[in-house]
Amino acid sequence: MNLIAGIDVTAGALDAQKTRLDIVAQNIANAQTTRTPQGGPYQRQVVSFESELLKRIGNGPPLETVRVASITPDRSPGQQVYNPQHPDAGPDGMVTMPNVNLAFEMVDLITASRAYEANLSVVKNARQMAMTALEIGK
Amino acid sequence: MSPLGSINPLSASPLTQIDTQLPKIGAGLPTTQGPAPTESFGQMLDGLVSNVEAKDVNAQDLTRQVLLGKNDQLHQSVIAMQEASVAFSMMIQVRNKLVESYQELMRMQV
Repeated sequence: MNLIAGIDVTAGALDAQKTRLDIVAQNIANAQTTRTPQGGPYQRQVVSFESELLKRIGNGPPLETVRVASITPDRSPGQQVYNPQHPDAGPDGMVTMPNVNLAFEMVDLITASRAYEANLSVVKNARQMAMTALEIGK
Repeated sequence: MSPLGSINPLSASPLTQIDTQLPKIGAGLPTTQGPAPTESFGQMLDGLVSNVEAKDVNAQDLTRQVLLGKNDQLHQSVIAMQEASVAFSMMIQVRNKLVESYQELMRMQV
């Protein structure tokens, strides 16, 4: 029994946007991290999405939801900063900083948050539609 | 002797020809004495109630998991709650209609 139409699709999208927000948080948190378990400075992570076919009960059209396809590191080189006091500085006194650009991350953050909001309003409207349909019987 | 009297309107051959070509109303419809329903109305109602209860239990479970920190999918919990709420409202509507029809029957003049 699925009373609220399309709610599974939206739930998948909310999941995906939440993961994106988590990754943006990780990028911002590690904007100054010069040491990682893999060695070298932190690399900015990028989330990509893919569509996923939902199995549909009943005779409706097949719906596609979204899920996180992969979280891949951004391979672009980080900024070189001259800081000989830094423990991770090279012999020439240069430190490789993470390739995180705060302006990019803020844009990503706002995009993810707006996309989340859009999906939430779909949920709200779908629920409102179901409730309005129940008003028929009154 | 009257030429008009020889015409019988009911046995006019063009009309009977048309009549045989027309589909018979109700020919393809099942009769009222069709096969008995597989489940009674009570059973169906029972199924509805247990369906609604399952949704409620699911919502409770998801909310508990979020509150206990086992899961951080807050939206799933809220969506499950909304789904349970809509299902419950539907059940209430069905019950209201049922009670209404019962009362209508009891009000009938004998």
